[in-house]
Amino acid sequence: MSLNAETAAETAGLRRSIDLSRPIFGLLALALCVLVILPIFWLAVYSLQNDAGEWTFENFVILATDPTILRAFGLALLMALGVGILATAIAAPMAWLAARTDLPCRSGVRILVTASFVTPPFLGAIAWEILAAPNSGIINGIYRWLFGLEADAYFVNIYSFPGLIFAIACYTFPYVFTLVANALERVPSDLEDASAILGASQLTTLRKIVLPMVMPAMLAGSLIAVLQALTMFGTPAILALPAGFHVITTKIWSLFQFPPQPGLAAAAALPLLLITVILLRGQKWFLGRKGYTVIGGKSGSARITNLGVWKWPAFAFVAFILSLAVVFPYAALLKAAVTTNIGEPLSFASLTWQNFNFVFFEFDATRLAIWNTLVLGISTACIVTILVVVISYLVVRKSFPGSSILGFLATAPVAIPGIVLGVGLFLSYANPVLMLYGTLWILLIAFITIEMPAGYQQISSSLSGMHPEVEEASRILGASRLTTLRRITAPLLKTSVIAAWCFVFIGTIRELSATILLTIANTKLVSVIIYDLNESGNLGAIAVLGLTLLVVSFAVVIIAHRVPLIARG
Amino acid sequence: MAFLELANLTKRYGAAVVVNGVNLAIDQGKLVCLLGPSGCGKTTTLRLIAGFAVPDGGEIRVGSRVISKAGAAKPPERRNMSMIFQSYALWPHMTVFENVAYGLRLRRLAEADITKQVGAILDVTKLGALAQRYPGELSGGQQQRVSLARALVVKPQILLLDEPLSNLDANLREEIRFEIRSLHDQYRYTTVYVTHDQTEAMTTADVIVVMNQGAIDQIGSPEDIYKRPLSEFVARFIGGTNIFRGANAGNDHVSADGVVLQCGSGEFGPSGETAVSIRHHDVKLSETQPDFTSNVASAMVERQIYLGSHRDYLVRLQTGATVRVVSDVAVDIPAGRQVWLYFPPEHCRALAR
Repeated sequence: MSLNAETAAETAGLRRSIDLSRPIFGLLALALCVLVILPIFWLAVYSLQNDAGEWTFENFVILATDPTILRAFGLALLMALGVGILATAIAAPMAWLAARTDLPCRSGVRILVTASFVTPPFLGAIAWEILAAPNSGIINGIYRWLFGLEADAYFVNIYSFPGLIFAIACYTFPYVFTLVANALERVPSDLEDASAILGASQLTTLRKIVLPMVMPAMLAGSLIAVLQALTMFGTPAILALPAGFHVITTKIWSLFQFPPQPGLAAAAALPLLLITVILLRGQKWFLGRKGYTVIGGKSGSARITNLGVWKWPAFAFVAFILSLAVVFPYAALLKAAVTTNIGEPLSFASLTWQNFNFVFFEFDATRLAIWNTLVLGISTACIVTILVVVISYLVVRKSFPGSSILGFLATAPVAIPGIVLGVGLFLSYANPVLMLYGTLWILLIAFITIEMPAGYQQISSSLSGMHPEVEEASRILGASRLTTLRRITAPLLKTSVIAAWCFVFIGTIRELSATILLTIANTKLVSVIIYDLNESGNLGAIAVLGLTLLVVSFAVVIIAHRVPLIARG
Repeated sequence: MAFLELANLTKRYGAAVVVNGVNLAIDQGKLVCLLGPSGCGKTTTLRLIAGFAVPDGGEIRVGSRVISKAGAAKPPERRNMSMIFQSYALWPHMTVFENVAYGLRLRRLAEADITKQVGAILDVTKLGALAQRYPGELSGGQQQRVSLARALVVKPQILLLDEPLSNLDANLREEIRFEIRSLHDQYRYTTVYVTHDQTEAMTTADVIVVMNQGAIDQIGSPEDIYKRPLSEFVARFIGGTNIFRGANAGNDHVSADGVVLQCGSGEFGPSGETAVSIRHHDVKLSETQPDFTSNVASAMVERQIYLGSHRDYLVRLQTGATVRVVSDVAVDIPAGRQVWLYFPPEHCRALAR
């Protein structure tokens, strides 16, 4: 027997490490580049070209000199700042009350905040139209009736700059609330005990210990609220346009109306992208400062402050805010759904199914839109979930050097505002080579890109919480890589996979900012139909569609929260 | 012939050589401890044996069959080994019974056999009553025993343990330490045990392998390692010791720190430099000058601590060097007093390395 043959026999069963992850990595990196970098690339190219396709800075010159665009930028920044301040001013005290005091109905408060969170902002804006439009608004009707005023008198006008700030803040304050409430719950009681034993009163402790510790979370939450307001399309389109002014998102959209000026739109989108990136950097900086993390794990739970005589005034404050954000708007939508004329008082005689009938049976466009929305919602949720599971696995398990680039690409879209992505995708795919404009495909691409970061964060965080030894224990006991994935990894990830799917689905069915630039008559979605119906003033139909959207969203949120219970049994 | 052999085993991560030409032969049924400070390459060696890492050089053989060599390795699931992890790595979605049965199910045993074997091992590890619990409902010690049961039930050719006790509190650690040893006496699986704790190694091991900076420093029985260290590193790492560094004065004598020490054992450095090790409790402390010509030094008590079973002294030699002495409680000399130290030659060990 030759020496070679002997070595071959001896080493039978040895495996050169063939890396399947390498080709998968290549494919994924390519796909993510197409999703993320391509639209930004075309945005940059178009912004530097004129209609004839020549290279020029013309668009940026117009951008810097056209007063209507500058005004739109200025108003957008002012609006976003106003939203940030208002949202923080109401959410921070509410978070403290809900997390650290004996406020009555604290769990009820949390549920209503969640409801505000789930409400699509454009739907809230429409509800506030029903409530506070100067002529037809319910509040102004009651006001006139109470004081016997003329038909043109009004108490509040939602079609105004303050009205716009208010309507956006109603649906962005939950970002501040959630971050601050979580931070407050993580401040362990012994830190406060340490302050108290050194002689500080409760108020001093709150001011000197608790507040500084939650400050980064509060600032980070405010920045998110600012960012949401700045990049929002629906609410400004519904409230600012009738008031006669533009913010930057509606201005970009108007540049696509006839005659279209894609180059200028691209140029206007780039500063918005830049501001978003800067704000997100700021948010990361606030949250990432080491000094603010609580050191040591075994500390008591958060201490509850006794409100004493302030209990009921505090409750009234919280109830008032939540009524404005959730209770009144929902009531207005409900009323609009079951009556034909929103102005008239509610009575049994005026109840009607007509709006439901119209939406679900008479109006063709809504049935198509509901179908399109479901198809896109489900397919986006499935594709994103699969994508982020594979990406997270490669990144978290560090399959090989460089895999972290995938994580970066998967989170990058978080910095791309919907309207900017809409412009970028329009420019990338509305050309003779890739004629995807007007199909559901371009919407699918948009939604995958928009929803990927949230899904990725969900899956990768639960995967990094899973010790690799859990998988290795299965391997060494005799299970192959695939068996281990099937019997150990998959069951352990099940909960967060379902949660990720649900959140992607909800995010998709309410998307409007990118959608508005990418749909045509055949590819309308529920959100766009609601926007269209608002233009034509059909509030009853909107209310029915809006409530349908809400019911579906809440059902999915409840499923997502229930999952851990199911998984256990 | 050794059962498990590591031949010139080498592993690099980038520029760092984590395991550097390790040669080790382990006989069937022996429990071998890889002992060393963190970062000495012991865990990487274990992961190479398990097949989770592929070596960059050298070979691993089991029963003279190569299972790993440079760039190629038999996957872990085909090595018929089992392993106990630092984090226990219990599967939270399976009950204790299911966790333990997992390996047997993979081996496609009949369900009746599985029930019987799992039941038996759960009884041995005192877990019988907890079979239907989930890992999240168990204490740390119980979780550790589940991971032991899960590893033992498959009757592995080789059992690997990676710092299995480091997450337990002191009392439990002692209890499980003895349990691991008695389970080994019962089943006699060839075992490789990684730890940084010398007491753990001495309680459990047949053979201790002391590792330092990716290489093996010394191999021997617990007694060899403690009584006959071959290097300063081993003497210091196992049990703690006083080290004198000095010049070889010939005739088994070393002169260091103004003291001439006659060494009863050990190896002297080839030329000049030689270190001498003497354990804390082997140094004799007295207030009167001992009647010896060498191995004697005068010093001053710097600190004395009463520890119930003994006293712990720190004394300073005239050269400024300090010596730690552990003495009988009866020897009670307050700090600041002049004392005499005697280093018995039979306890002075010369160290070439």
